[in-house]
Amino acid sequence: MRKLFVVFLAILVIFTVAFAKKPFVVMVTDTAGLGDKSFNDSVWAGIQKAVKDFGIEAKVIQSMEMADYVPNLEEAVKSGADLIVAVGFLIRDSVEEVAKKYPNAKFVMIDAVVPTNNVASMVFREQEIGFVTGALAALVTKTQKIGWVGGMFIPPVERFEVGYRAGVLFVNKNFDRHVKVLIAYVGSFENVPKAKSLALQQFAQGADIVFAGGGKNTLGIFEAAKEYSMKYEKRDGIRRFAIGVDQDQDWIQPGYILTSAMKRVDVAVYSAIKDLVEGKFKGGIYSLGLKGNYLSLSPMKYTKKFVSPEIFGVIERIEEMVENGEIKLPKTRDELKKFNPPAMNF
Amino acid sequence: MNKKIVINTLLNIVMGLLAGALFLLITGKNPITTFYWMFYGALGQPRFVAEMLTRSTPLIFTGLALAIGFKAGVFNIGAEGQLLLGGLTAALVGAYWKIPPFFHPAVALILGALVGAAAGWIPGWMKVKKGINEVVVTILMNYVAIYFTNFLVRGPFKYGYLPRTKPIMDSAKLPVIIPGTRLHFGFVLAILVAFFFHYIFKKTVWGYEFKATGYNPFASRYGGVNTNFMIISSLMISGALAGAAGSVEILGLHHRFYGQFSPGYGFDGIMVALIGRNNPIGVIFAAILLAILRTGSGMVQLKAGVSKEIVWIIQALIILFVAINFSFDRFFKKAGGDAA
Repeated sequence: MRKLFVVFLAILVIFTVAFAKKPFVVMVTDTAGLGDKSFNDSVWAGIQKAVKDFGIEAKVIQSMEMADYVPNLEEAVKSGADLIVAVGFLIRDSVEEVAKKYPNAKFVMIDAVVPTNNVASMVFREQEIGFVTGALAALVTKTQKIGWVGGMFIPPVERFEVGYRAGVLFVNKNFDRHVKVLIAYVGSFENVPKAKSLALQQFAQGADIVFAGGGKNTLGIFEAAKEYSMKYEKRDGIRRFAIGVDQDQDWIQPGYILTSAMKRVDVAVYSAIKDLVEGKFKGGIYSLGLKGNYLSLSPMKYTKKFVSPEIFGVIERIEEMVENGEIKLPKTRDELKKFNPPAMNF
Repeated sequence: MNKKIVINTLLNIVMGLLAGALFLLITGKNPITTFYWMFYGALGQPRFVAEMLTRSTPLIFTGLALAIGFKAGVFNIGAEGQLLLGGLTAALVGAYWKIPPFFHPAVALILGALVGAAAGWIPGWMKVKKGINEVVVTILMNYVAIYFTNFLVRGPFKYGYLPRTKPIMDSAKLPVIIPGTRLHFGFVLAILVAFFFHYIFKKTVWGYEFKATGYNPFASRYGGVNTNFMIISSLMISGALAGAAGSVEILGLHHRFYGQFSPGYGFDGIMVALIGRNNPIGVIFAAILLAILRTGSGMVQLKAGVSKEIVWIIQALIILFVAINFSFDRFFKKAGGDAA
């Protein structure tokens, strides 16, 4: 009798496993859509990885126009999606509207905050990766001058900039260097020619590394680094670099992009899906940083040879210090003024 | 005669669907499920129909704007710019000017339309006084409007750190006419405006002179029509309708101005006017056809797994066939024996 009961239980378990509905994830893109070589593509890659690892089902709806956002999000809810993923600040208002209308649906909002308790808002502590990047640039520069060409002065970009400058201050203090940072802003995220000319100006003023702070502008800044190097590298032996942002952009001008300060939106969405599968998903604001690999430097496939192994050792230690909270990083320019870099201990 | 046009158009839609089906087969997708979900997503449930009509609203306005220009023989390619200027005006009136309810959306809408009309007056005046082609002027003015509104929404009127304006007050919102959907009063307005112009062209002297200017300006002038006035007023009306399109979208749907809220409704107006044969009532149906194709796209992607790009191509094919307007008259004659 007991044996029979066990067999019965086993069959029951098999049946529930076999017939349990697979978690269903729907991603709704903004109008940039898949193929943007940026956040949309990266998030979709993270979802694909989750499909492979957890056997979930996933679909994507690409929005054709702004008026599409709300109906597409609603359609995702009505189709029985267990989790709806939305990317980018343009779609934020629509996510808020739909999330309020359907309090039982679950959402992940990448790179923006929706203050509703059924939305997990994934935002990044850009200052952390900015800090590491700034430290690296300050250690690598041969001219003791580096540059920053930002897109628009908005909070996430400000955090990048301030982190970058704090990283330089940290290196200056601990390694007795005197690196200066040139700051410029394009005023838009899509003005490639203006970004390029600003970067060329900074190279002409003696900077040898320029951080490309966001948007399509990066393409112009990468070009500037290559162009300037082509002209002057043979003469003075100094290679000019740009620094990429958001994604691993090193491949765009191989050898002229020192590294990329990556926001790993793919890792963020993957971890949200993992929580969902494990039944631990919860709404709220998730502030993501170096810890957990949500922010990281690119693998520097083409530029490793320009950086000495000692520098990599220092960078690793700095990353550790940031992760452990040993350095209190500034988030705004005002906080940067009061920033007192701590001593480095090995 | 009218019946013939309708049947002809429907047959052309079927041809477009067949061409789209062929394309889907080539790309390895099932055309039947794709079309099923496309039409289901736009017509399958009452709330989908409401959404579809919501989406047709700006298209009716811009379609009318273009059709009225075409009737008087002018090409207002600047509808997109006028739409943005009108929309921004309405958004600002809605957000910053306290007016009692009911009057608030009316004032915002009228001012939005007036700004559109003012933007339409410039190319009209240049055409009449200086003989400058209105196509060139309106195209160039689009750039001015796009960058000017973008500047305002990124600069003086930026709200928060995103390129968008302050949300409009509740008193300025156009009411939703079917609760639980997004279908707002703007759709009713669009239909009323279409019928208004239908009446004007059919029954009034002004409408007759208007059309006459389009058919032959020289003969009209000889016949005593003030063609200069007609040209300027047609561009102003066209601009006002485009401005109203933007205002209605802002007041009824988005409730604040976003830099990219229009995917090019102004340019879509050209297509709508052509498919609607420049007839105000035809424009309504043309806008609804376009809205059906667009509203179903999310459903097609979700259920049939067809990507956005392929949906776009199919839509383009259908519209292409309707625009080419193959004549099936020959077949009617054979079938009906109506040789006369």
